[in-house]
Order: sequence, then structure tokens, then C-alpha cells
Amino acid sequence: MRLISLAFIVFIVFSCKKDKPEISEVEEVLDNGMIVLCEGLFQHNNASISWIDFDNGTVSNDLFVSKTGRQLGDTGNDMKQYGGKIYIIVNVSSTIEVMDATTFKPISQISMVASGSSKQPRSLAFHNGKVYVSCYDGYVDVIDTSSLTITQRIQVGSNPEGLSIANNKLYVANSGGLNFPVPDSTISVIDLSTHTEIKKITVGMNPGGVITDSQGGVYAVIRGDYAVVPSRMVRIDTQNDVLAETFPFDVSGMYPMNDQLLISFYNYSTETSTIGLFDPFTETLVSSNYISTSGITTLYGMKYNPSKNTIFILDGMNYTNTGYVREYSVSGVQLANYHVGLNPTKIIFK
Amino acid sequence: MLYRLFIAFFITGSCYAQQDSIQILELMEVSFIPTLKVNSNQLLQNEIQEMAAEDVGELIRKFAGVSLKSYGGLGGLKTISMRGLGANHSAIISDGFSLTNNQTGQVNLGQIQAENITYFVSVVGTSSSFGQPISAQIGGSSFIIETFENSFSDKKLKIRSSIKYGSFNQKNGYLGLKYSPNKFMFSAFGTYRDADGRYPYSFQNGNLEVNEIRKNNDYRDYNFGGTVGYKNSKLSTRIGYKKTNVSQGLPGAVIFYNQTQDERLATNNDLIFGDIVHIRPKFKLRGYANASQSLINYFDPTYFNAAGKIDVDYKNRNISGGISMNKVLISTLELFGGIEAAVSDLKTNDSTFALPVRFHNYGLLGTRLKLNKIRFEVSASSQFVHEKNNNGIRAKDRFRLNPFVSITGNPMNNKLIYEIWYRNSFRMPTFNELYYNNIGNNLLEPEDAHQLNAGLAYLPWNKRLKVKLKANGFYNRVDNKIVAIPTTNLFVWSMQNIGKTDVFGSEGVLSIDWQFHPKWKFSSDGNYSFQKTIDVTDRNSPTYGDQIAYIPLHTANLDVAVYFQKTGLRISSNFVSERYALNENIEANKIDGFIIADVSIFHQFLLKRTNSLQVQLNVKNVFNNSYAYIRSFAMPGINYLISLSYAFN
Repeated sequence: MRLISLAFIVFIVFSCKKDKPEISEVEEVLDNGMIVLCEGLFQHNNASISWIDFDNGTVSNDLFVSKTGRQLGDTGNDMKQYGGKIYIIVNVSSTIEVMDATTFKPISQISMVASGSSKQPRSLAFHNGKVYVSCYDGYVDVIDTSSLTITQRIQVGSNPEGLSIANNKLYVANSGGLNFPVPDSTISVIDLSTHTEIKKITVGMNPGGVITDSQGGVYAVIRGDYAVVPSRMVRIDTQNDVLAETFPFDVSGMYPMNDQLLISFYNYSTETSTIGLFDPFTETLVSSNYISTSGITTLYGMKYNPSKNTIFILDGMNYTNTGYVREYSVSGVQLANYHVGLNPTKIIFK
Repeated sequence: MLYRLFIAFFITGSCYAQQDSIQILELMEVSFIPTLKVNSNQLLQNEIQEMAAEDVGELIRKFAGVSLKSYGGLGGLKTISMRGLGANHSAIISDGFSLTNNQTGQVNLGQIQAENITYFVSVVGTSSSFGQPISAQIGGSSFIIETFENSFSDKKLKIRSSIKYGSFNQKNGYLGLKYSPNKFMFSAFGTYRDADGRYPYSFQNGNLEVNEIRKNNDYRDYNFGGTVGYKNSKLSTRIGYKKTNVSQGLPGAVIFYNQTQDERLATNNDLIFGDIVHIRPKFKLRGYANASQSLINYFDPTYFNAAGKIDVDYKNRNISGGISMNKVLISTLELFGGIEAAVSDLKTNDSTFALPVRFHNYGLLGTRLKLNKIRFEVSASSQFVHEKNNNGIRAKDRFRLNPFVSITGNPMNNKLIYEIWYRNSFRMPTFNELYYNNIGNNLLEPEDAHQLNAGLAYLPWNKRLKVKLKANGFYNRVDNKIVAIPTTNLFVWSMQNIGKTDVFGSEGVLSIDWQFHPKWKFSSDGNYSFQKTIDVTDRNSPTYGDQIAYIPLHTANLDVAVYFQKTGLRISSNFVSERYALNENIEANKIDGFIIADVSIFHQFLLKRTNSLQVQLNVKNVFNNSYAYIRSFAMPGINYLISLSYAFN
């Protein structure tokens, strides 16, 4: 019997072990640095936010936890600032986290679950005191920025992804990705005075990102089928809401840089990325190889910083290893590397 | 697409207790050292009953070298890795027939019930056993189950039955009958169980401890079947049938802030099997065949596609048969081997999936030289695989030859055995890996495994105090490892042969049985495994040299039982050290280690001479620990099970 009691004691000693996560402190006011949203991996509950301080180059990879005492959740898809607030979309957790833009203190968590089902929010846009959120269930939710409540749901096409605002209208990419191999091919146009869909423009297979350039021009990426149908960029005529042009070069992502667009392309067969430069005034590709991507494993996103005049490239590594934010000069010289969380996807500069 | 990947590889993976069935333990190769084996460990019926294991997955973690992946709960997906090799390198054999699944390559051990198991053995790399299918004799490791209903009996009538009631509204019933007039055997069995699965669990979210109840985790299954057998001094034969039907909610991962799981899975398996065994003093021959069909329905009522749901059926059929033989040429030399052929296919109403058919041939030829105190074994196996695809491009034909060599020594008259062996084996890519939508890659090569092992077993005492010690050291290498990697973006994954893994491991086993008083008995089984399983794919990768995801560096089991006459107490504990959820060994990927202890108290009433009634109370996870094998799949806290078993011999 002594052996049994000994065994019990051993079990108790083992069973009492419980680790509390260590959380580093981040300064009260976020200034001269960048906030990086790291998507994490599906079902790992490990979306995270990094703070990179430009003054001393330090990286803190648990900004969200240190400011809220809890985790961000599963699969962070979008993060943008509007007025004094930062909005973060967490897709699988189906939440929108609203933070103070100066202190990053939590303001509200908006649940995007309706009648027992996740709406699966994807992307953000803002206009006139309203937040527009594309939801994978086929709607754009309208959130009032002062009450932080959902005031309306606008039905669009299937599985909307990117959205952007121009000419008092909201352009929403209907991907139809969950109907693969027969995805959607339209962009919904929503009148922002009436909050109704006024048109669907057919643009090409599997629309993804949508952006508005400095002149109010709207560009979208049609991603094709990742196999035979190529991934291309299109331009929308926002006066007549028709497809204006489909460009003859490969594009996976578009990122504004002053009046121009940085465009990225991932070549599936060679597993390499290229970064080009597009001029919206002449509607031409100024350079197809603007920055060398030799130091980048998996190009996952980009953001131009106008005050530093540098380009930040998000490197997803192989998607299952923690990523990097790599800073380049506009002439393509690598200046710095910051080791962040899993799959860095969005940046806000402070 | 990521969701669908998950469905394809894990959830439909949970579906296959597809072929079950027969084997006769006496047909297992009885080695020249019957009591002591270096690379084989076993669980006996009384241990299985005392643990009240819900399924084979709960039992299998008791073996040295096993890393269990459990997605939690009754019927939840459970698969294993043996010595750092993936689940597909291990064969699960029930009564002499392989339980295989060519869609996912892994059998869900959570759907194989444990109540009818009379004997359970783990074998890694060791010499061939004539009673097992040829396909299982040439793999990396095997787990061999013997069930009540498929084994011959020396008693005219045997009955096994139990009813159980437990936490989360669990109800089990089991009845097995075996009638053996003269040389015949007629058996029939049936099981039923259900549970609402609403178990409480807690987890850490930042500084918050969150307590919740598992949802959409209901489970119901039933099995029934029967076997007819005939046996005389030269020959035995069996033919049988088994049905498995499962309906279950899929609780999915615990997602922070979102509890909206509503997917369901229905499984319906049919299996027929038969074999003929001929045994002469110098010649043993077994012919075996089985046919199975597995129907799986995956249903997601809230999917944001045009139909508004996913309702997909998979039909996986398999027919296989073979011959296994063993011939003693001269007293010191024997020859063994055999052939097996299998045809399997997959049909689905998912139009993007291929319609593959696989023809797989196996051959084995080996020889065993038994000298006075030493035994040499050498064998070679060949495999040829041909596939057809009625909806797209097929994978190319494959032919492989794989060697096995071993030296076993018995220098101290069965008190000490040592063994050194090397096995080369491979696993085929699964239908999912080859053909699933645009994730699959029909250019995949098989995944190769090399295993090198040195071990010994020692029996210092074998009287009223029995002590058995085993130690093994091993090095394994996996080449052409098949891994899923995202390609165009996080939502488009593809399968590639890019991994290389090194496994440096050791195992220790200590068993004690001690009749220290005429009325008292003490028994203890402990094992410890060390498995440094590291990624050696690419020197420039951040994960080079890192421990592979979900393989713990340390695992240990300690079972202690004390018996006083017909009353007993068993404490069963399982320790798993911290693991990483991804291959990058960083703090953020760490999953806490845990130790789980279960306690059972039981008493057996003897009614007359041939009847017995046993009452048993099991308390599982007595310390109510929060733990998880897989990140975001929380396991239940403390839970109870009361059983009443009746047996007639």
C-alpha cells in the first residue's frame, strides 16, 4: 500500500503544475512604430499583434495580450484605423476587436455570430462614421462607429472578400470561393446614401482584393483558379460602374505607394514572387521587377510608409513558421528585418 | 479551402474503423522464447477491463513508443505515431485482418471498441508472424487485437456481457455469446453506446481561465456481427461478418469567442472475412480474405456556398486476400513468406474529387536460422502498386523492394534476450494526398522509413515475484516525408514530398507481478519512452533540428494494481511531456505536458463455478486536470463510469 500512496503523491505533485504565460509590458502610448497583425493558423487560436518600436528597433509580439489580458483569437484577417479607433477582424473567432488608436486599450469586442452561426468577417472599409465589414455569409455589415453596434446588413454576392470606397459607393469583391471550382466573378456596387446594392459588375473569375488609388480609381484582383486561369488586375469605371480594363500582366496583390501602386505576384509553378510598380495615371506597368525579392520566402503583403519613405514587406515564411516584416528603401535596399508572429498580414504605422 | 482541407484530412479521417476482424492468437508466431520478447508489449483482458478503456485509442497509449493524437471525447478521432513515424506506418490488425483505410491512411482508433478485446499486443519491427496478413508483416509496426467473438474456445458456452453508465450521460451495453459444440464455433455479439458528450473543460486564454461545456459532441454507435468456425487438429477455418454504425456530432476545435460547431458525421461499415489455417509440425499455411465497405457522410448545415451546406458521401471499398506460410526445412532453418493482393477504390459525390482505384500487391520471402543461442532472420518484401483514376490523372505505378534483418540472442536460458534489427519500409500516399481537389498531388512518392533498433529483455525473477525489464534504443529516419504546405496562399495547400525526419529514441519497460501473500497480489507495469524526433529537411529552415509537432520528447505510463482475493484497485497513469503544435519550437507553439491518473475499484462475485459478476467503478482524470493532446481540442476533466459485467465460462 505504501507504493500506492507514493504513486499518489507523485501524481499530485505533477498535477499541480500549471504555467502562467509571461507577458511583456508595452508602453502606454504607441508612438513612432508599427502595429502588425499576424493572422496565425486556423484552429490554433494564435492570431497575434506585434508592436515594433522604430526608436530602438524592439519587437513585442504580444501587444494584444499585454493590453487586454486575453488572446486575440483565431485567424486575424484585417486591421485598419479609422478616427481614434483601430478595428481588427478575427475571421474564425468571428469577432471585431475595437481598440483605442493611441493607447491600444480595448474599447469593445463585437461578436459577429448571428442566430448560432458565424458570419466570418473578412475585410474592413470606412465612410462617414460607418464601418463596412464584408462577411463570408454574403453580406456587408454596417457598424456605427460611435455606438459600435451593427445597424444594418446589406446583401451582396457570395463570399465577399475585399471592399473599397470611391465616389460615395462601396465596391465589394464577391469571390464565391466556397463554390470552388465555380467561383463568383462579380463586384457588388453599394450606394452609400441608401445602403443598397445598385449593381453587380462582372469582372472575372474569383475577385479578391479591391483598392482605391489616390485619384479615386478602383482596382481589383481577379484571382482565377490558381491553375489555368491567371490572376489579373482589373480597373472599374466608377462613373458608369462597368469594367474598364483587364490588365495583361499577373497580379496577386495591390498596395498604394503615394500616387502609384506596388503590385505583387506569386508564381505558383516557380514558387517565386515578384514586385512591380504600376502607374494609375498612364495605366501602365512602369516596372515589372521593381524590388528584388531574393530575401523573401513567402510574400504575404506590403505596406508603404510615407513618412519614412520605405516599403515594409510581410514575409509569411512557409506559413507554419513565424514571419518577418522586412523594410526596404524605395530603391530596393533591405534596411531591417523584424521577427514577428505567424503570417503577418496587415500594418498600421503610428 | 482550408476548412475543406481540414475536413478531408482529419474529419473524414475519423471515419474508419472500417475493417475489423479475426485473428487467432495461437497463430501468432510463437517464437523460440515464448515468455520474453524484446520488441513486443501486451495488455491482457483483465487489464483492459479494469481500465475500462472506451476504445483502442485509450488502450494504445499504454504501450511504449506510442504518441497518441486524440481530438477528444467518445468516438473522437484518435490516431498514433509509433516511434516518430506517422500513423500510416502502423498496421492495426484485428483477429488476423488488417484495418486499413486508403482514403486517409489512418484508422480512427476512437471508433474501435475495447469491450470485446481479449488480448492486445504492440509489435515494432520484429520478425514476421505467420498468423498476420503479409501487408502487416512488412510495415513499420503493428498493433494486434484479439477479440472474444473470433477466437476458438475450449469451453462449450461462453458469455461476456456488460452494462455501463457514466458521466455525460454515457450508456454502454455489450453482449457476446460463443457456442462451441464439438469442433465448431458459433459466435455472435452486439454493442451499443451513446453519450451526449457535454463535458466541462477549462483552458487558459491569456490571463483568463475559461470554463465551458463541450458542444455538438453527441455520440452513438452500435456494432454487431457473428462468426462461424471449425477446427480440428490439422485445420481451422473461420468466416464472419461485422457491422459498425456511428452517428456523431463533430465538436471541432475550441475556437476562442465562437462556439457555433454544427457539423455531423455518419459512418456505416460492413465487413466480411474468412480464413483457413493448416498447421503441421513443420509446415504452417494460412489463406485469408476480406471485403469491406465504408460509407461516410459528412454534413455541414451552415456552409456559405450556393447550396448553403455540405453534404458529401464517401464510399471506400476494399477487397484483399493472401497466403502466408512457414516451412521448417531442417531443424535449424525455416522459410517463411507469402503473397497478398488488394483492390480498393473511393467514390464520392464531391465532383472535384478523383475516382481512384488502387491495386496493391505484396510479396514476402524470408528465412530464419536458429542456432543454439542465437537466431538470424533475413527477409525481403516487394510491393507493386497500380492505380486508375476515372476522374483525372492517375498516379504512376510503383515497385519497391524492402529488406529486414535481425539477430536475436538467448545467452542465459530464456532469462536474457537481446535483439538487433533493421527494417526498411514505406507507406503509400493516401487517396486524399494524391487526389483531393487541388490539394492532392498525383506526383507524390511513397514515404520511406528506416528503423534500426537494439534492445534487450531481462527476467531476473520468475517465481512468486516476477520482474521483467526491457530496454530498447533506436534510430529511425523518414525520407520523402509527405507534408501539407500552403502554396498560393494560406487557403490553397498542396501535398509535397519534402520532409526528412531523424528519430533518436529509447524505451524502458518494467513489469512486476508479486504474489506477496496467499490472498494478496501486487502488479505494476511502467514504461518510459524518449523520442527525439527532429526535422532535418533543410539546414537553412528555422525548424532545422526542432522537435516535430505533436511528438513529445518524453512519455511514460505507470499502472499499479493491488488485488485482495476478488477485490482490486488499479491506478493507471499516463504522462506526456510538453509538445509543440507546429514544427517551430517556440514558446507560442508550446502545449503543456500533462499527467492523467485514472482509478478503478472492482469486485468480482463468483456465482456457482462458471458464472461471475463484476462491479467496477472507474474515476478517470481523478485530479481533474485540464489537458489537450492537440491544440484547441480540450479533453474532459474528472469523469465517472460504473460497470456491471457478467461472464459465463
